[in-house]
Amino acid sequence: MMKTSLLKKSHQENSLQTAQLKERSESPLNWLLLLGIVITIYMLGIQSAMAHGEKNLEPYVRMRTIQWYDVQWSKQKLNVNDEVTVTGKFHVAEDWPISVPKPDATFLNISTPGPVLIRTERYLNGKPYMNSVALQPGGDYDFKVVLKGRLPGRYHIHTFFNLSDAGQVMGPGTWLDIGGNAADFKNNVQTLNGETVNMETYGLGNGIFWHSFWALLGTGWLLWWVRRPLFIARYRMLQIGLEEELITPLDKNIGKAMLIGVPVLVFGFYFMTVNQYPKTIPLQASLDQILPLTAKVNAGEVDVETLRAEYHVSERAMTLMLKIKNGSDKPIQIAEFATGGVRFLKKGILAPDHSNTDSLVAREGLALDNPAPIQAGEERQVTLVAKDVAWESERLDGLINDADSRIGGLLFFYDDLIGERFISSITAAVIPKFN
Amino acid sequence: MSANRSPRVFLAYTGEKARIVRAYDYLILVLALFLFIGSFHLHFALTVGDWDFWVDWKDRQWWPLVTPLIGITFPAAVQAVLWTNFRLPLGATLCVACLSIGTWITRIFAYHYWNYFPINMVLPSTMMPSALFLDAILMMSNSLTVTAIFGGSGFALLFFPSNWPIFAMFHLPIEAGNSQLTLADMFGFQYIRTGMPEYLRIIERGTLRTYGQVATPLAAFCSALFCTLMYALWWHIGLWFATTRYLKKI
Repeated sequence: MMKTSLLKKSHQENSLQTAQLKERSESPLNWLLLLGIVITIYMLGIQSAMAHGEKNLEPYVRMRTIQWYDVQWSKQKLNVNDEVTVTGKFHVAEDWPISVPKPDATFLNISTPGPVLIRTERYLNGKPYMNSVALQPGGDYDFKVVLKGRLPGRYHIHTFFNLSDAGQVMGPGTWLDIGGNAADFKNNVQTLNGETVNMETYGLGNGIFWHSFWALLGTGWLLWWVRRPLFIARYRMLQIGLEEELITPLDKNIGKAMLIGVPVLVFGFYFMTVNQYPKTIPLQASLDQILPLTAKVNAGEVDVETLRAEYHVSERAMTLMLKIKNGSDKPIQIAEFATGGVRFLKKGILAPDHSNTDSLVAREGLALDNPAPIQAGEERQVTLVAKDVAWESERLDGLINDADSRIGGLLFFYDDLIGERFISSITAAVIPKFN
Repeated sequence: MSANRSPRVFLAYTGEKARIVRAYDYLILVLALFLFIGSFHLHFALTVGDWDFWVDWKDRQWWPLVTPLIGITFPAAVQAVLWTNFRLPLGATLCVACLSIGTWITRIFAYHYWNYFPINMVLPSTMMPSALFLDAILMMSNSLTVTAIFGGSGFALLFFPSNWPIFAMFHLPIEAGNSQLTLADMFGFQYIRTGMPEYLRIIERGTLRTYGQVATPLAAFCSALFCTLMYALWWHIGLWFATTRYLKKI
């Protein structure tokens, strides 16, 4: 009987311990601990971002808006205060997507991790411009941006266009190594009245002074009230009808002084500032209008009509059926097809490389059914296959899932002596081939 | 807005009770400090953030119009709670002080140390004079209507002249790229912002530029009108969110 009782008691204790263990294991603390471990492990593996999200932009936007080519960086190693220049060209696609607002306001930008460089000059078609600019579909432009090293480090830098209401269209990028000392950076600008200002520190001391001045008055006002019993004591007094004792005559006098003194001080300082800086102007918000160059793409000598475009999913290959008319006076060969930041080059053609960026290049990615040069005056139907894993790795094959599944790109021709270059933009609806 | 109960004998707390009540004051103050640094700063950043972040967004039209309009929201709500229940005329100053603390922390640590922008490019504006004026009006008038009309208007009208001593020097003209710019515009051009192209700036747009190129007073008076309405709205939001049901048991 006693043994049974002891067993029962032991069983009850075991059940209790099991329940306690279960409760402990289900407590929020354990879950928090687990979450902490997971986050810690995750954070140990975090690496710097090496891309700018360009692959997430819909392929038809990358292919049929800004079509970059010949982008060059003047150097890839520089020191703080040294300048680096990026130049290049772009064609604004004629077949601009219907769902992307027209490029009425755009901004040629540089993708950097913060202002590790500053932009000192920027030109479009040789004209300097400071604000945003309107582009014309079908237009050809060249650009130049001068940058100055500010913070040492190794950075992946892109040129890109901000398109109003559409987003960012990345251009070719490169790695820049900036050496030297950040403290040596200098950025002086001269105002129209001849004063030279250091942009790194200009106006900072003045700003801190005025914020401190008003913060001092505000702190004084807060301390004036906080020094007395606050919430419970005042609530009780108010409820009992002792409102008059909560705001004393001295408080009211201070209130009157503030009502008069604060506006007087504000407007006094305002007019002092107006006298100190009589020649100020409003912020400048103009939209620059720069006309395109004379046609560089579709310049009239080589005409290309896209008859059909098929994307073979399993082969990662785009087949383009083209009707090409060589209106020039020399034989030409197709050397390159560029679209969405990927360059497909034809094997065996020694086309000069006009770009020193780290663009994705499929060196033998272009094949033709008839590789013979197209003679002067000849019209020929050509089947071109651009084949590379880049269609998938760059997520350009997502085109077939787009609402606007049309391809756009630039086709580069060279004459037989690798001299003159002709560029045509092509566009067509894409038919997917799943097998 | 005055208490309804008739005066009767008031026994002030003494000894340990008084000390606990005082400790409670400090506890609430510290909590309020963190609450308003976080919430008001977030509210401000999400609504009129860019005008306050960047020196090249502080224009004559939109900046003095929208900043006081959003800036008066939390001060009105907190004033409603602190004045109605405690006769404390410090709600606006407390909110604006908290906003300033949060703003300066962000500008220094997030914008300067994390994202490398020079601090002068992201100098915040100040609303402290406006807040002091608003608190004083409420204390002197003890009236929602008077505070909304005159305090709200004063809050907006004082904003631009309070900040001109800080930002006038950024409006000096320079020549760059064959065009006239302000120094503030030059900050925007030189210090690269990948997610903030120039055309995104909501500045100098609209039809307020009448009366011979004078835009700021019009924007300020327009803001003053809206602030009177906004003040009354947020006063009631403050009362709606706050409750003293637990204090009644003390």
